[in-house]
Amino acid sequence: MFLGKKKAQQIENAIQNTPPRSDQSYWANVKRQFYKNRLAVWSLRIFYAILFIAVFADFLSNERPLVCKLDGKVMFPVLKQYSVSLGIGQWEQQFVTKRWNEHDYQFVIWPTIPYSSTSIDKLNRSFVGPFDEQRVKSLRWKHLLGTDELGRDVAAGMIHGTRIAISVGIIAMSISSLIGIFLGSIAGYFGDNRLQMSRIRLILNLIGIVLGVFYAFIARGYALGEGAAEGGGFMMQLLLSFGILFGMMILVNLLASGLKRLPGLGKRVNIAADLLVMRLIEVFNSIPGLLLILSIVALTKPSIVNVMIIIGFISWTSIARFIRAELLRIRNLEYIEAAQAMGFSEARIIFRHAIPNALTPVLITIAFGIASAILTEAFLSFLGIGVAAEEVTWGSLLNLARSNFPAWWLAIFPGTAIFITVTIFNLIGEGLTDALDPRLKQ
Amino acid sequence: MFKYIVQRLIIFLPTLLAVSLVAFSLSKLAPGDPVELLVKGQSGESGQKASVQAYEEVSRRLGLDLPVFYGALTTSAFPDTLHLVIKKSERESLSNLISQYGNWPQISDYYLSLKSLEREVAYFPVDTAISLMRNTISRHVKDLLINNKDSRIAFALSEIKTIVSDSSSLNTLQPLATQVADNYAKVKSEATVFKNYIPSLNWYGFKNQYHHWITNFFKGDFGFSYLDSRPVGGKMWDALRWTLIINFISIILAYLIAIPIGVSTAVKKDGLYDRVVTTVLFILYSLPSFWIGTLLIVFFTTSEYSPWLNWFPTGGVTDLPSSTPFFTRAIDIMHHLALPIFCVTYGSFAFISRQMRGGMLTVIRQDYIRTAKAKGLEEKSIVWKHAFRNSLFPIITLFAYIFPAAIAGAVTIEVIYSIPGMGKLAVDSIVARDWPVVFTILMFAAILTMIGNLVADLLYALADPRVSYGNKK
Repeated sequence: MFLGKKKAQQIENAIQNTPPRSDQSYWANVKRQFYKNRLAVWSLRIFYAILFIAVFADFLSNERPLVCKLDGKVMFPVLKQYSVSLGIGQWEQQFVTKRWNEHDYQFVIWPTIPYSSTSIDKLNRSFVGPFDEQRVKSLRWKHLLGTDELGRDVAAGMIHGTRIAISVGIIAMSISSLIGIFLGSIAGYFGDNRLQMSRIRLILNLIGIVLGVFYAFIARGYALGEGAAEGGGFMMQLLLSFGILFGMMILVNLLASGLKRLPGLGKRVNIAADLLVMRLIEVFNSIPGLLLILSIVALTKPSIVNVMIIIGFISWTSIARFIRAELLRIRNLEYIEAAQAMGFSEARIIFRHAIPNALTPVLITIAFGIASAILTEAFLSFLGIGVAAEEVTWGSLLNLARSNFPAWWLAIFPGTAIFITVTIFNLIGEGLTDALDPRLKQ
Repeated sequence: MFKYIVQRLIIFLPTLLAVSLVAFSLSKLAPGDPVELLVKGQSGESGQKASVQAYEEVSRRLGLDLPVFYGALTTSAFPDTLHLVIKKSERESLSNLISQYGNWPQISDYYLSLKSLEREVAYFPVDTAISLMRNTISRHVKDLLINNKDSRIAFALSEIKTIVSDSSSLNTLQPLATQVADNYAKVKSEATVFKNYIPSLNWYGFKNQYHHWITNFFKGDFGFSYLDSRPVGGKMWDALRWTLIINFISIILAYLIAIPIGVSTAVKKDGLYDRVVTTVLFILYSLPSFWIGTLLIVFFTTSEYSPWLNWFPTGGVTDLPSSTPFFTRAIDIMHHLALPIFCVTYGSFAFISRQMRGGMLTVIRQDYIRTAKAKGLEEKSIVWKHAFRNSLFPIITLFAYIFPAAIAGAVTIEVIYSIPGMGKLAVDSIVARDWPVVFTILMFAAILTMIGNLVADLLYALADPRVSYGNKK
């Protein structure tokens, strides 16, 4: 969305046409160029701040005290929350029956925002604004950014939303980077006529995929369905299925290594890897992404994790294109030839020698991709599709403004957060693009 | 060039097939039974016999009694006739039973005896004295039909057994009830679980749901909406009108404003004007349109904040009936559409301006511009006659990218301003699981995107002969 097709084409061409570099300090060069761009550097600093908020969200906004002394015992409830949610620890009876702010602490330090995103303040229900009169004990308990209809603190929701937005960006992009780098490097390194395998390996691999899918997903369809219905076990069942598929592929390839010595079976066949991957990319680019994400997300059980995974699986294409372009250039460099001459395996050359030198352009796509993933997630939760109703995100907060016009704070704060986050990632992306190739600077 | 076009057209078909397969399999994975939805909408509460008939009729009309796809990779325990069980919930429970026990012949016996018990119970002469017990039995039978968990089945079977043996008037059901229980015991005792681990490939031929749908699609018959039984084509056409109006106006506006701004900033590069405008454009480009849309609708459509901020209507496309004179109605519609059009426009406007500025900058650096300057031509004529024309064409080709993107991008704005366009139709149908509509919109959006990409690439190649689309070696 943010990387117009033309711009992508330009970057791709620039990568391919960059002359072979002799100096080893390519990274240092890119870094130096990047740090010349003041706007990009400031965006990076803001990103660190946002990352800090996302990581320490529980310590910044929580209905539990950071440290408290109750009945002569010093406790760290925010830390303890982690052990409780992992199932190791357990809350004392007094905390289950009584709200956190109703205890008589001898000594207590509250987080900056003494509310969680889900804690409900019954006294300040139905949209109390930051400047409205709030029924709170003291200024310390004021809802700085107002409350929503249920009386949930908006500032707490914003902090929690930061964590969600950043994790959507990072997880979705990790998935798409994995897919994109894998497919793109295969296409770029092997091109159309360098990927060869023995005939038997090709045949066995095709059979292996069919059988693997059969044993992993079709024969286990019932177990998977049961897992999904019960909720908890689904991930385990799914992992087991992927394990079966993976094991099948390994088995088949071992078999092929043994069988290829037989006459006739070992004949090499050529696989047009580049062609296949490029066609796949074209198919993915023709599918209207937002509509597809909407329809998939509407099917799955509302959960933010599903949203992350789906966005990741759909947005790998530009990473694959950039990596491919970079590897088309790298594969002709002398050091790769040297590695081949030394008899290293293809996998080792690709993963140890080629890909590490091709990662810079991927950073550009990742920066733009995080922006677009965050925007997509915000949009989905704005529509209320795919995100559980009790989950508070920037998009869901913004959506509340639509149902209640007087609540201006719900329209302004979450939107600003989305805007700032998206903008800094775009600026970082632009900065990286300029740093990679100063000629692209307009 | 010709080769390139042919190449692109060849890709067209597999892509469309891939999109159609994705849409189709999504609809098959969707929980819920569309037939149930339609039947409920049609008949309301009528007799059991009528509802069973209605169910069969509707699923036949929708073609849901056919096998799903041309073929299937299943386990050898599955029969190739399972699609003949029309009711979706029963089919699912049967397939779960097969996965558990792997012996279709026994399961089929069990299912058939269960069905005849159901029929028997339904036609049992109604007598006020036993109607309560009859209803209990029928509830348990229904439970048996849709459950595959051993504990649930055992419970229902024992309940039926006690009721039947206790009541003398229901005694006639005794043999059937015992038969069901016996058949179920057989299913359990003669399980052949190993069959679930033998793959088998079934071939159903061309009479299947997917084939049916895709051939109809290419014939222009998009089926009927599950929600209101209207033809999908008609629904889409109504919606498309509004989306087209908004997008055409906004794209024209965007070009009209963006081109002069792009050119003027490029000419005055690095001046104060350029820097201010470029920054503003970047901010506009990064502003999420659903946020701006929400802000505008919150602040400018009601007198909530101040009576003189109530400039625009809150949503919809018009308040007037269709009988009002065309001109008044058109003005009212424009009044309604002003905010949405603004929201759709500013993003593409910023994008086009940035592209225009970039294009101009590359052209201005060229030698022939320096020659023109050296000749002593006027600044104005250099800019507009020599530079502008050469930088314009790539901008026009942008249109082909922007148009499909705009149609998908209008989703947000249409939802916020409740405009009955394609975007809103898509979201509403997705939420309501109205698959025929979702299919068609997905397919059309994909076709539009592909055509847009193709046209853009071709125009680009036409405009700039240096671009080659042959095989670069």
